[in-house]
Amino acid sequence: MLQVADLVCGYGDITAVHGISLTLGQGETMALVGPNGAGKTSFLMALAGHIQPQSGTITLDGETINTLAAAQRCMRGIGLVPEGRRIFPDLTVMENLVVGGYSRPRSEQTLNLDHVYDIFPRLHDRQKQLAGSLSGGEQQMLAFGRAMMARPRLMLVDELSLGLMPRVVDECYAALDKLVAAGIAVILVDQNSDAALAFCSSALILESGHMTWSGLAANAPESLTH
Amino acid sequence: MLLIDLCIQGLIQGAIYALIALGLTLVYGLLRILHVAHAALFTLGGYVGVVVTNGSGSFLLALLTAMLIVGFVGMASYRVIYKPLLMRPPLIALIASIGVFIASEELFRLVFGAYGLSYTNPPLKGQVEILPGISLSHARILVVVLAVGLLSGMGWLAVHTRIGIAARATVVDPAMAASSGVNVETIRYASFFIGSAFAGAAGVMVSLLNNLVEPTMGAVPSYKALAIIVLGGLGSVRGALVASLALGVIEAFGTIYVGHILDRDSIAFAFLIMILMVRPQGLLARG
Repeated sequence: MLQVADLVCGYGDITAVHGISLTLGQGETMALVGPNGAGKTSFLMALAGHIQPQSGTITLDGETINTLAAAQRCMRGIGLVPEGRRIFPDLTVMENLVVGGYSRPRSEQTLNLDHVYDIFPRLHDRQKQLAGSLSGGEQQMLAFGRAMMARPRLMLVDELSLGLMPRVVDECYAALDKLVAAGIAVILVDQNSDAALAFCSSALILESGHMTWSGLAANAPESLTH
Repeated sequence: MLLIDLCIQGLIQGAIYALIALGLTLVYGLLRILHVAHAALFTLGGYVGVVVTNGSGSFLLALLTAMLIVGFVGMASYRVIYKPLLMRPPLIALIASIGVFIASEELFRLVFGAYGLSYTNPPLKGQVEILPGISLSHARILVVVLAVGLLSGMGWLAVHTRIGIAARATVVDPAMAASSGVNVETIRYASFFIGSAFAGAAGVMVSLLNNLVEPTMGAVPSYKALAIIVLGGLGSVRGALVASLALGVIEAFGTIYVGHILDRDSIAFAFLIMILMVRPQGLLARG
């Protein structure tokens, strides 16, 4: 489904990612592991369309999407749960979800809302509240829900457990499980690399923007992931 | 009686400020640019209002035409002035905007003459006694009806339609709105259209109240609307509305009670300075 070949990207003159290549099939899961500043977030942002690649190609279902804007990538099935969650704090929970489903026909909205509320009942209870008033864990659920509203086929999840209580992290992984069971592919970044490796089938290890290892998550060399 | 009268006059003036300041706030929220040339759109609205009314005899037609034309010119101003400068520091866009504003005054002078235009047969002159002893012209009542109607219509859009909700999300975090499938460009064009059309309506109403349009009529509203959006907390629509009404009332009272020391426009800025000393972030801004 997703092919990335020799992707180089960065900000201005600074190159954050030097030549990453990967292939991800439908419903597959991949952990991106590496220390802070390794280029994990930059790589995800390049896939989502927020950083222009300097060279290399990103191909989704055979179509090169390098130059597509973020909104068009959303419409082609790429969902983003960004670092720091970046929900819209001045909007209610429900309004956040409505924005998340903006790319889908209006007639689908109720169905998609129900689907999200089904996975995160807590969001249903809080749908009229301002998103900024939610706890960190609830905000993470909302970020998930917002991305799910667009019915993605590939979910990019950045720093899943950062700043969350262990119980909430478990809930978020449980939600990811449901997404994967529904055939959605996931690329996951989590500072808790053990959790990410345990969840994903394959892994890609980055250091200073370079790919140092890739393969089955179970075989990831411990010396590189810690 | 005087107090009530002053309040009413102040609120009417405030309603005009609100119509002008709304567009400025929308543009600031979306682009983080001070849209000085907005006041030129206000003046354009005034000219279209007078010219179409005198030509067709219908004030309603003039008002609608002015809103449409000014709305489209506002969209064009985004395309021509701001869009090419978005990657540059906001100061560059500000300078361009001031340049366009000054040039537009000269353009109005060249096209319509330096002395301004008036309604040959001013409409809505009739008076209504709304409270014992207080009468208002139909024109002033229309200002209030128009401001309430347009602004609450916009409020309804912002809360009850998908594009309105998406627009509010875009103001908060354009990148994440885009990643949700929102076309940020569409939101910008729509906001420029609405904000400019409202300024055009304000221009028509001011031209009617003064029975005059002239090339520099945008000058005072331009800096006063900037004061209002700073006062309201930059980018806060609700703040700008509150600040507009407050400023209208303060000016109405100020002209009567301290008008011998300070003129109307200095009162506005004295008020701005006082409020910002107490609340540097503006009246309704967050944190």
